[in-house]
Amino acid sequence: MSNNSPSKKIGAVLIVGGGIGGMQAALDLADSGFKVHMVHRDPSIGGTMVMLDKTFPTGDCAMCMISPKMVEAGRHLNLDIHTLAEVVSVEGQEGDFRVRVRHAPRYVDGSKCTGCGDCEAKCPKKVASEFDQGLGVRKAIYSFFPQAVPNSRAIDAAQCIYLTKGKCRSCEKVCKAGAINYEDKGEEIELNVGSIILSPGLDRYDATVRGEFGLGRWENVVTSIQFERILSASGPYKGEIKRPSDERHPRKVAWIQCVGSRDPHNGNPWCSSVCCMYATKQSIIAREHDRQIEPTIFYMEMRAFGKDFDKYVERAKHEYGVRYQRAMISAVREEPGTGNLILRYASEDGKLREETHDMVVLSVGLQPHKDAAAFAKTFGIDMNPYRFAKTSPLKPIETTRPGIYVTGTYQGPKDIPETVIQGSAVAGRAMALLSEARGTETVTKQLPPEKDVKGEEPRIGVFVCHCGINISSTVEINQVVSAVKDLPGVSYVTNTLYACAQDNQDIIKQTIKEQNLNRVVIASCTPRTHEKLFQETIREAGLNKYLFDLADIREQCSWCHKGQNEAATKKAIQIVKMSIAKSRIQEPLKTGAVGVTPACLVVGGGIAGMVASLALADQGFQVSIVERESGLGGLLNNVYRTLEGDDVQKFLKTKIGEVIGHPKINVYTGVEVKKTEGFVGNFKTTLTDGTTVEHGAVIIATGGMEYEPGEYLYGQNDKVVTQRQLEKRMAEGDMPGNGERFVMVQCVGSREEPNQYCSRVCCQDAVKNAIALKERNPQAHVVIIYRDIRNYGLREDYYTKARGLGILFVHYEVDRKPTVEPSGGKVKVKTWDYMLNRELVIEADWLVLSTGLRPHPAADKVAEMYKVTRNPDGYFLEAHVKLRPVDFPSEGLFVTGLAHAPKNLDETVSQALAAAGRAGVILSHESLAVSGIIAKHKRELCMSCLSCLRVCPFGSPYISEDGKISHNEVKCMGCGICAGICPAKAFQVNNFRDDQIVAMIDAEVDSEPGLIGA
Amino acid sequence: MMTEVTGAASEQDVLTVEQPHEGPADWQPNIIAFACHYCAFAAADLAGVMRLSYSPNVKIIRLPCTGKLDHIHVLRAFERGVDGVFVAG
Repeated sequence: MSNNSPSKKIGAVLIVGGGIGGMQAALDLADSGFKVHMVHRDPSIGGTMVMLDKTFPTGDCAMCMISPKMVEAGRHLNLDIHTLAEVVSVEGQEGDFRVRVRHAPRYVDGSKCTGCGDCEAKCPKKVASEFDQGLGVRKAIYSFFPQAVPNSRAIDAAQCIYLTKGKCRSCEKVCKAGAINYEDKGEEIELNVGSIILSPGLDRYDATVRGEFGLGRWENVVTSIQFERILSASGPYKGEIKRPSDERHPRKVAWIQCVGSRDPHNGNPWCSSVCCMYATKQSIIAREHDRQIEPTIFYMEMRAFGKDFDKYVERAKHEYGVRYQRAMISAVREEPGTGNLILRYASEDGKLREETHDMVVLSVGLQPHKDAAAFAKTFGIDMNPYRFAKTSPLKPIETTRPGIYVTGTYQGPKDIPETVIQGSAVAGRAMALLSEARGTETVTKQLPPEKDVKGEEPRIGVFVCHCGINISSTVEINQVVSAVKDLPGVSYVTNTLYACAQDNQDIIKQTIKEQNLNRVVIASCTPRTHEKLFQETIREAGLNKYLFDLADIREQCSWCHKGQNEAATKKAIQIVKMSIAKSRIQEPLKTGAVGVTPACLVVGGGIAGMVASLALADQGFQVSIVERESGLGGLLNNVYRTLEGDDVQKFLKTKIGEVIGHPKINVYTGVEVKKTEGFVGNFKTTLTDGTTVEHGAVIIATGGMEYEPGEYLYGQNDKVVTQRQLEKRMAEGDMPGNGERFVMVQCVGSREEPNQYCSRVCCQDAVKNAIALKERNPQAHVVIIYRDIRNYGLREDYYTKARGLGILFVHYEVDRKPTVEPSGGKVKVKTWDYMLNRELVIEADWLVLSTGLRPHPAADKVAEMYKVTRNPDGYFLEAHVKLRPVDFPSEGLFVTGLAHAPKNLDETVSQALAAAGRAGVILSHESLAVSGIIAKHKRELCMSCLSCLRVCPFGSPYISEDGKISHNEVKCMGCGICAGICPAKAFQVNNFRDDQIVAMIDAEVDSEPGLIGA
Repeated sequence: MMTEVTGAASEQDVLTVEQPHEGPADWQPNIIAFACHYCAFAAADLAGVMRLSYSPNVKIIRLPCTGKLDHIHVLRAFERGVDGVFVAG
């Protein structure tokens, strides 16, 4: 929906901080008609995520995931990246800000530098690498990390011998491009933008403050981020796990949790939200790298509160033998002479123990960037007392200054998916604010003309990727290269460290031109994640993007045949040969375009669906909400206050009013989706009342249900209630009675088979209600019996407050649950107290059960109808756990709210805005490019037997006026069922033609004749 | 419609066809898997991501959907000497 009418609002957005959150926001906005300026203080974008080795639960290499995004950001036409830059002043208001940006001198001309690295090799000055956290070295002229974007080098003025002492100039002598400029003074520029997004990211707690842990004193004590670098294939030890003192392989490795977190005296009072999971991940990855390692995690509470987190911890315990020891470490000292470390702690039975480990990892917490206060002042926004940007749970991404939004860890500690969610959320918010200016500041991409390769002999270029050591530690890359170099049609073969990194993308493009290639095969990872990126790369070099094939030698070879190097290498060679065989007979394909209906269907009228609808309607799109109940609001109808004290009912009523009053929103209550057809941009959905809605995108927000307990006398005894019932009674004013005793039991219906997941909201509910009880009547007694209190992030404050109010917390283990029995008008609760080492018996006036969440049963039908998958617990499965948290794999479909996983209100609001942002990207286009991978119909071969007509799930074959079969290519999704069933072979799927598949079969067999063939 | 078979194979001919091949003790079958891009191929990726191990003598050919599979693909594979074909989708 481009709108070129003159407007006061500026169709450009400034993003301050180029980590994963900022990048997500930038790409969403740049892909939907806005000009984006990204200002980043480091020489390369990437933030914290690029420093991580792998991410859980998939174990994907963080660099492999983020690198394509960085590459995309780095070459996006409507995204300008300003590195080594900071904002110095902001004037103006929402819709029209004037921002001054100061570029520090880089001393290297980015337009001339090719990133060859000759200068770096020559530079005599070695400096401890910030990126490797001091464990490795870099030069004074350097690239921040090998996959840096932009990849031009920068000179560190404080370290450069010439800039500090006036002599050297080695880099200038060696630079053939003449890119070195010692006279660079930097510059200040002014930008005019309509909105500002703050994503400056985080700092880590300085653990040297906790002297008793010995960081900086004992060499083998490292921080968790240092350990990420140790694990990384591109890190100081090339992925081998060694300890710094003697570079020996450690056997016993200890993680100490909550270093600088949940510690108001020596650190920060908040919970950093991510350390429990990253320690679990690091211990699993460490075991995968080296089976000799025996990991122990010393923790206070295991806060595995996210989607599938508990399952991951269970895997760590049972499959990887990770030992979890509940204890606070009081001191770490080095054993003289060995470099080993002695840890001292009080075990659960109260006895003091000492244990020796070879290496210690401190799980350091997150905190706002050190310049956060100055930053807030520059942008004119308020901070909370902890220097995070001030937001409210009901408006989680809005700062106190209109038009300025915040995402990621500057809003509060959070992990990657939540940061990405907020990235799309701020993008969605900015799209709504600036919708009238969409398309006014952007330009369109000028691609070189496509080279006509018809009739040419194939000249295939093959690039075999090491993927750091992901592939090369199992597959002998050189053997693969030499095995394929003489195959017919292959005119160039090489290997590459990371095929997807920006520098290598440029090399690939260069090679296509120099070698006059007309087809490209890359042997690296799965086409599911990387095909598009490489297709764009070859298109930029003037090749039709379908003259490309990706041979998956990582996911389907090196990763699953670890330790079988010979067999894996042989298989990799076969896989590459099969790709080459297919590539040899690839043809250039045309891409079509399909119109987009600028409307969205939202399934579910709870708060997630309503917030998403409003955000989309404010962008100018038509929205239809389908709600099966008679009214809007969903589960939120039963919530009265947030943990932070906001009035939820007032918020809900306001939102319902806005939805009903919005001219762009139609609400259908009491109905469900009956039938749906179509595809991205062009869906048609029929409701049970007969209404038909045409729409370009779908947001699934079917919500959740509360678990109805059958345990702990619920339903049998009036004195047993759920948190929700307690909250309602309190809202009605009849609780608590004087001196009444409340016992709350956590994890009822959660974290146990068959519901092995944390419901995330129950700890907040219990603490919220317990505080409310105590504040209303300080004479009330409240005991919370818990497994782990999971008041993560800034919610930790309320746990602290609850303890301060005298609320008692008693820990229980799942194999020793509390028991209850009726006792007169009361309930007698018995539970084992691990501190006192004896049973506690409490006579409760009220037993309050913290019941878990379940996905809504209606999700079954919706999943089936839209053909989207769910996890074993019934929650919808997103396209990628880390980087596509609101997308489904099928385009045009999005998920939000409890339908995705249990979450708190603020998180639901963020995710709903994110879904609106993601849907907005699609709906903002007048047309979308249609894949060239579709079935082609040869009418001259067709007998019109109608087989295809019967089997096609998309209705693309049809009977035309002459009574014979025709094919609507726009509807075709390229599944090829028609091709499989057609007896005349009149259908062939582009790039999956029968001759191509046969060529692959032959190539496989040629290199390995079977028993009969031999 | 039944027709009488003339010139039927002798017992010996049948035996020759039916005789199972005895491979060497360390014999590993060569297997081609046809996998749907959206499910089985994704599952094979997931197996890699989860570092699950399976025998390296399985090679995967990606199809946009297993509905695309044609019997000529399966027959071709056997004809050329593949020991097993695995269709997953």
